[in-house]
Order: sequence, then C-alpha cells, then structure tokens
Amino acid sequence: MTKDFLNDFHWLMDVLNNIDVGLVILDKDYNIQLWNSFMQNHSARTPSDILGRNIFESFPELPPAWFKRKVESVLVLRNSAFTTWEQRPYLFRFKNYRPITGVAEFMYQNCTIIPLKDTQGKVEHICLIVYDVTEIAVNRLQLQTANEKLHQLSRTDGLTGLLNRKTWEIELDKEFKRYHRHQQPCSMLMFDIDHFKSINDNYGHPAGDEVIRHTAAAVRESIRETDIAGRYGGEEFAVILVNSGGQDAKLVAERLRQKIEQSTVCYEDMSINYTISIGICELGPNLKGPVAWIDAADKGLYEAKHNGRNNSVLVPKT
Amino acid sequence: MTQSLEFTEEYRDCLQEVTNVAMGQAGDLLAKVLDTFVVLSIPHIEVMKPQDVSMALQAVDSSSSVSAVCQGFIGGGIAGEAMLLFNDTSFQDLAKLLNYDDELDRQAECELLMDTTNILFGACLNGIAEQIDMQFSFGSPMVLGQHQQLADIFNTKSLNWDHALVTEINYQLEGYDVNCDLLIIMTGDSIKRLLAKLNYLVN
Repeated sequence: MTKDFLNDFHWLMDVLNNIDVGLVILDKDYNIQLWNSFMQNHSARTPSDILGRNIFESFPELPPAWFKRKVESVLVLRNSAFTTWEQRPYLFRFKNYRPITGVAEFMYQNCTIIPLKDTQGKVEHICLIVYDVTEIAVNRLQLQTANEKLHQLSRTDGLTGLLNRKTWEIELDKEFKRYHRHQQPCSMLMFDIDHFKSINDNYGHPAGDEVIRHTAAAVRESIRETDIAGRYGGEEFAVILVNSGGQDAKLVAERLRQKIEQSTVCYEDMSINYTISIGICELGPNLKGPVAWIDAADKGLYEAKHNGRNNSVLVPKT
Repeated sequence: MTQSLEFTEEYRDCLQEVTNVAMGQAGDLLAKVLDTFVVLSIPHIEVMKPQDVSMALQAVDSSSSVSAVCQGFIGGGIAGEAMLLFNDTSFQDLAKLLNYDDELDRQAECELLMDTTNILFGACLNGIAEQIDMQFSFGSPMVLGQHQQLADIFNTKSLNWDHALVTEINYQLEGYDVNCDLLIIMTGDSIKRLLAKLNYLVN
C-alpha cells in the first residue's frame, strides 16, 4: 500500500517536473516555493538559486502592483485568475531559444493563477501556470499585419499609392454628407495630364507610368494630411480639400499646376516636361449629390482644356 | 422540447434557491475584493432556445453599444459558457474599482473587462458549485467585442444547439457607474447531470 502510494507520488512528481508548462508556487509574501524544470530551463536558474526568494526581486520585469492585484482576488475569491499575451506579452522575460525556427524576440506567455488549499482548507499559497504561446501569438500578429496590409492594398491604387477610385468615392460620399451636417466649406479638384496619350506614344508606356507617379507625388506634396486624393481614372486625379472654399482651392490648384509645369521627369535618358489642367468646384447647397459635384468639377476641367490647357478653372459655387 | 419539460417548477425553484444562496455568498466576497457593495438582482432561470436568448438580450439593451466577455467552464459533465454584458459601463469607474492606475487604452480596457468578468462570474459559479458539491475548471475569459451593437456581438444564427439552461443576473456596484448582466448558459447535455445533482437537494 505504502509502496503503491510512493510510486504514484513519484510518478506525479516526475510528470509535474517534466511537463512542458511552467509551474511556480508562491506563498502569501510572494516567495518562490516551487520552480519546475520548465521554469529552470527557460530562466537558467536552479531551485537552489531561487527557492525561498521573493519573485519581484528575482524577476524585476514582473510589475508588483499589477500582479498583486490578480493574486489578491485569487486568495479572497479562491478563484483562478488569467493573464493573456494580448494584455501582457509575458510575465517572465524568457529569450527566444530557437535560432532557426524562432521568430519572436521572447516567449509569449499565457498564465493561470490558481489558489492552493492546505490540509485545513485554507488558501495560503497560489500556483502560477505559465504556458508558452509564442507560436500562437506570432501567427496571430502576422495575420494582423497581413490583414492591415491587405486593407491598405484594397484601398489604394498600386501605381500611385493614392486612394483607388472605389475608396475615393466612398470618402467623397462621407464628405458630402458631412457638408450637409456641418456646412463647412469643402472643394474638389478634378484634373488630368495634358496630352497624356502623346507622352505614352513618344516615350513609351513605362515613361507614362513614371509621369503618373510623378504627378501623384506632386499632389501629395501640395495637400494636407486631411485632404483626400485619389486616382480617378488612367491619367485623371481627384482631390477633396476639406475645410477649403473655392478661392483657397484655386490657390492649391495653381500651386500644383505650376509645380508640375516647372518640373522635369527623368526616365532612363529621357527628360519629359508635361502640364495638367484642373477643374475646381466648391460644394454648395444646390449640388444634389456627390455625382453632381463631380460633374461640376468636370465642367471646370473641360473649360480649362478648352482654354488651351495648363490652367485651372474655378466654376462658380451653386 | 423534452428537456424543457423535464425541468419542472420544483427543480427550477431548487436551482433558483441554490443560485440565490450562491449570489449572496458571491456578493459578500465581491464586497471584500472590490471594496464596494454589490447589488445583485434575483437570478432569472429558464430553459431557452437560441432565439429566446437573443430576445432576452434584446430586453436588456437594443440600441446603445455594449461590451461583452465570455468565459467557459466545465466539470463533472456540466459545461457551459458565461457571458457578461457591460451596458454603457464607464471604464474609468472599472479602473477605479480594480485599482488600475495605468493609462486606459484599448488593451487596458480589454484587461479590465476580462478581470471583472473573471471575478464576478467566478464568485457566482464557485458558490453554485460548492452547494451541488462540484468543482469546475474555468477557461480564460475572452473579449467578444467592445463598444458594439449587441446584434454584432451575439449572433444567434451561428449557434448550433437546441436548448440550454440560461441563468440571468444583473449586477450593479454601489457608487460606480458599472452595470452589467451575467448570462450563464449551460449546455443541453448538462441539464440532466444538473438535475441529478439537484435531486439530492430536492429529496
């Protein structure tokens, strides 16, 4: 009978010591009473180094106030408490130990804190169970990054990095609605590259792409963070200037037009000069919808083309 | 439907009593941990279909945004999940309640929700477990959604069970703008086991 019991006990201890999760027992004063081999191996500290010592002194990365708050509720409620890597990546900073397959800098950990009853049923100790969740955490984080990238890609135009047409139109819709709520002035620039077809014909399509990229860069440099610029079509661009009246928009448009007129695009050995024509329209109460607003700006663009290109036309606000 | 028929008034009263006692104990313990008086509603217990649960929830709140946390439990053939719904809860108050001094970003809010759930639900379920002489193990709480419409968080269409035993309890913490509903949903399989346990108490 005693032999069986000792055998069982021995097995149990062996399992606890070799199990692939960290086990730590702490007394009420946060002194370490048990430190299994998972903890020994990852911390490089033997039981003789650590047993009886205060956990906060041994592991300064563990924030006392935060940890004590969790343990307190375990002691009073006799109820487990949990910490996840999403809230706090780790309790113990264990460096990544896999030179080939490890991509994280440290081990991500989930922890469970459980109350331990003594023979009288009193809870004077707690057990800390530490799970290595590095793989899950890394996968989740990579997925998050990929999703963010995809979100970004689905919103922008590949060549220019400006918003694509669909996204720009969604933003246009929002701005239109915002105008009707708050009546803040708001203007639109609609512009395209003059004689773009002959740029493509004379210099080749890759050069044409370079011109489009150059235009997008000039737009970005000419507007504020809050303005909304998109590539509307092949060589056609659209910008919403928030909180800007027609006259302000005209200034922005002229600055952009001159910037492009004065710059030269170098592609391979070719130097390309080009110009743009711009239609400008400030949103007014009589424009019935986003499409009407685009139409009005388009009318300005048409007029600018008709006037001999390389100029901007502000259509009267209606 | 058979399961709901098996769950007679007598058993419901018994479970109601067990839950009442558990809630009383939980209230005492929570007052100790949280240092405030916890006002608990009388538990409402019913066998429900998924649609009923969403109806019950709609009674809780329909338009304003809520935050929700789930926590699973299992033991001795009884299993289920608790869901805590925080109605328009002030996170500043939750932080004060849990003595949380750090900056309140989204991560911190998440942690507050999880800790509060763990404490409120743990106190309650442990009380029930003790009376029916059982022990449950708990999973880690999981935040289902923050500041969202209830319909977006709890979609009953994707639930694949017929009946479950639902216990609903409302918590209010005195002096704090914290108001939440706890739903304990026990799986259909668990009802039989629970009835067997309650049998001891009834007879």
